[in-house]
Amino acid sequence: MADTSAFKDNLLEAIPGLRAFAVSLTKSADRADDLVQETLVKAWDKQASFEPGTNLKAWLFTILRNEFYSQMRKRGREVQDSDGAITSRLSVHPSQDGSMDLGDFRKALELLPEDQREAIVLIGASGFSYEEAAEICGCAVGTIKSRVSRARARLQELLNVNGENDFGHDAVSAQVTSSTAVA
Amino acid sequence: MKHEKSTAHRGKAKRNGTGDPLGTNSEIGRKLKQYYDELVAEEVPERFMQLLSQLEEKERAQQPAEKD
Repeated sequence: MADTSAFKDNLLEAIPGLRAFAVSLTKSADRADDLVQETLVKAWDKQASFEPGTNLKAWLFTILRNEFYSQMRKRGREVQDSDGAITSRLSVHPSQDGSMDLGDFRKALELLPEDQREAIVLIGASGFSYEEAAEICGCAVGTIKSRVSRARARLQELLNVNGENDFGHDAVSAQVTSSTAVA
Repeated sequence: MKHEKSTAHRGKAKRNGTGDPLGTNSEIGRKLKQYYDELVAEEVPERFMQLLSQLEEKERAQQPAEKD
């Protein structure tokens, strides 16, 4: 069965990305690997429903994401508690020269709500377009954009990196000030 | 006019010219990629190869005669 073996190879190739996405969702390497395992089994069972030529990676990420949220519902959102614990332990100390420790970044990322975290990871790291990310998350493109934007703002706040090189903070302030006041 | 969430006006929602708020010039964007790339670079655990081989064998066993 040539098709089966090709499908298997494609799944193997997708595993590193699936694991990275799973870790960012679950915040736990062990849970992430269980999630990837579940995803591979589901994908295998559903392989007939995959249309060759379409984006296999996006298809797999969708399965993984759905599995994650269905597990979360089953667990009765115990995750909330662990989020609280992490919040109280978090202390991000960005160094004076503005450089940022990767460990601090991870902690800050883990503080984001799931919807924002998955959006910024899909767009900023997994290499998906806004359209693909919207499809994976089952929401509108505008929703993804707004989640990415809020995620980024929150990370900047947590990590104290407002003065970034890529855009002038003053310019933004001016823009906001000059736009209709929304007080 | 697009509908804008009020949160978008809290001062951080930027529209820089590049249209890529997470690009390589962004500290957040760089850290995010670094975080992710480290995860991607991890070696794939043996259990996943075994799992896929098992799934493949199971499927072969179920359809012994069919080949194309």
